Amino acid sequence: MRLERWQQIPTGTRDLLPDETARVRQVATGVLERMRRWGYREVTTPTLEYLDVLVWGEGSAAGDQLFKLVDRGGEILALRPEMTTSVARLVATRLRTAPLPLRLAYAGQVFRWREAGSGRLREFPQVGCELIGAGTLEADAEIVALAVEALAAAGVGQFSISLGHVGFLRALLAGLHLPESELEDAQALLYQKDFVGLRALLERHHADASHVNALLALPTLRGPAALEEAQRLVDAPEVQAVLSDLAGLERMLRAYGVWDAVTVDLSIIRDFEYYTGIVFEGHTAALGVPLLGGGRYDRLLERFGVSWPATGFAVRVERVLSADESGAGGWAPDAVVAFENGSRDAALACARALRDRGLTVAVEVQGRTWDDVADEALARGTGRALLVRGQTVVVRERGGEERTVALEDVTRGHGEEDARWRR
Amino acid sequence: METVTIAIPSGRLLEGTLQTLETAGYFAPGEWRTTRRLILPSTDGAIRCLIAKPVDLLTYVEYGASDLGVAGKDTLLEQAQDVYELVDLGFGFCRGIVAFPAATAEGWEAKSPLRIATKYPHVTERYFWSQGRPVEIIAMHGSVELAPQVGLADGIMDLVMTGRTLAENQLVEVAELFRSTARLVVNRVSLRSRAEAVQAVVQRLRAAVAQRAAVTSG
Repeated sequence: MRLERWQQIPTGTRDLLPDETARVRQVATGVLERMRRWGYREVTTPTLEYLDVLVWGEGSAAGDQLFKLVDRGGEILALRPEMTTSVARLVATRLRTAPLPLRLAYAGQVFRWREAGSGRLREFPQVGCELIGAGTLEADAEIVALAVEALAAAGVGQFSISLGHVGFLRALLAGLHLPESELEDAQALLYQKDFVGLRALLERHHADASHVNALLALPTLRGPAALEEAQRLVDAPEVQAVLSDLAGLERMLRAYGVWDAVTVDLSIIRDFEYYTGIVFEGHTAALGVPLLGGGRYDRLLERFGVSWPATGFAVRVERVLSADESGAGGWAPDAVVAFENGSRDAALACARALRDRGLTVAVEVQGRTWDDVADEALARGTGRALLVRGQTVVVRERGGEERTVALEDVTRGHGEEDARWRR
Repeated sequence: METVTIAIPSGRLLEGTLQTLETAGYFAPGEWRTTRRLILPSTDGAIRCLIAKPVDLLTYVEYGASDLGVAGKDTLLEQAQDVYELVDLGFGFCRGIVAFPAATAEGWEAKSPLRIATKYPHVTERYFWSQGRPVEIIAMHGSVELAPQVGLADGIMDLVMTGRTLAENQLVEVAELFRSTARLVVNRVSLRSRAEAVQAVVQRLRAAVAQRAAVTSG
């Protein structure tokens, strides 16, 4: 069968059916609610930004993965590929005079151009938060602890946060004393995680042995002994400063009670341009890609004219869901309401009263017979079917047993009827 | 310790990969040759190998369907996927080069626009772009050296091992883009969530490479 264009959606996008939408919403609200309890308030920014704003924040390399469009006046717009730059722009403009620190959260769709057939989504939801105006370890600890709680709130069973520091990599690279262009090459190789190429480059330059060994040992510098091992490998003051920061962070995260879920991992390599301090990723063994990512970025806001330090992270909602093996359960309303001729007013009042009590109620709108309505509804798991007949209601339970009760008992939740509904 | 999955490429790099796995003690010599299965547990059960098309291999590793993989540097350069490249396995040496028909190789730089046939469109485009030379890439899946002979392209970008195919097709190398050997790559999450088991395999393969290098030079 040939699919017509009107039957298709663009590469890398998704339709979500009710069950899937409910799961996405549940994860997003779970994470946002957790952030709210930590004092993070949600902001909304436009899906479209000026291309210049995004490139200004993220560097020109980001331009390659943007979806762009031309405004009627000739301005180039782009769909946001993540939300941190938008939040930075917002903070540097409308929140410039707000008291610090700012605790902001966000949830929304982001867009990245991806090669067709890469299996990667071009549109996906992100939920994240930013702590702006505090350059302290305390702030880093809060963000990492909140990341742990966010993944727990999202319903991820077994996960761990790998915690590293770009300062460690920077200090190692700087300690090599390479000429500028070679340093850039070394940094690029490290960013590509090409340790074979890095080894070749470093051997060519006879760089300082302890720094070389530490760089090449990076993929193993993780776990409880990582800090000690790193300390042993490199004796430079900049490296020691970073390591003592991480040790301090460990003490705080123990106090937060989340250290069990955190592993020091000096091999975490994220964008050098953007991050300036700690960097972290959330993983679960069930999935080959990170569930969340974040870190400290003290230079981003500077580009927008306010020199405030900042730290934050974003959760990949759809990845959290694909790591969840439980799958969606079936769904059905708590009750369906049908009515006899002349009882519409009473039936609608009944439905409204039940909804006000927090129940999910669907009213029959197809004019089917009572038996058709009740059989179909109960077969797909609806709690009970109601037939409103003047001031009385026929209630059919899941098992098929029927009883007739006063309308008032159902709507007001009186006596025995109330007890049944609460079960 | 949990079983670690390693994706190994069918084709050019298969023999070298299996020999390395044999040296590392994962398989008895020749053991793999008696089967046609695509998934193969090692003798000691520490790893299982899946045999994948070289072009798909990095995809298996990037998405974590396989913890580790063996891939040519040529594929790594072309696909630029997000994996850790940890060990140069030392076999499968070849070079990525640009070649033109002998008759036009002289003064190829003057021709514009250039049409280049290749299995490596990204690498080729990056190269010519870095040279500031406009280029039209014709992406192909095989027998690239045919393209200039039938007027499909001015020249080719391809892998050479001995240079014999070039000579037989009257092609002359004009530039070298990269040198390639087989590499051991690791998924970024496996490196963390299965750190111990993955590092154990990396160490054993590293030792096997050193052992094989010593045998070759000694």
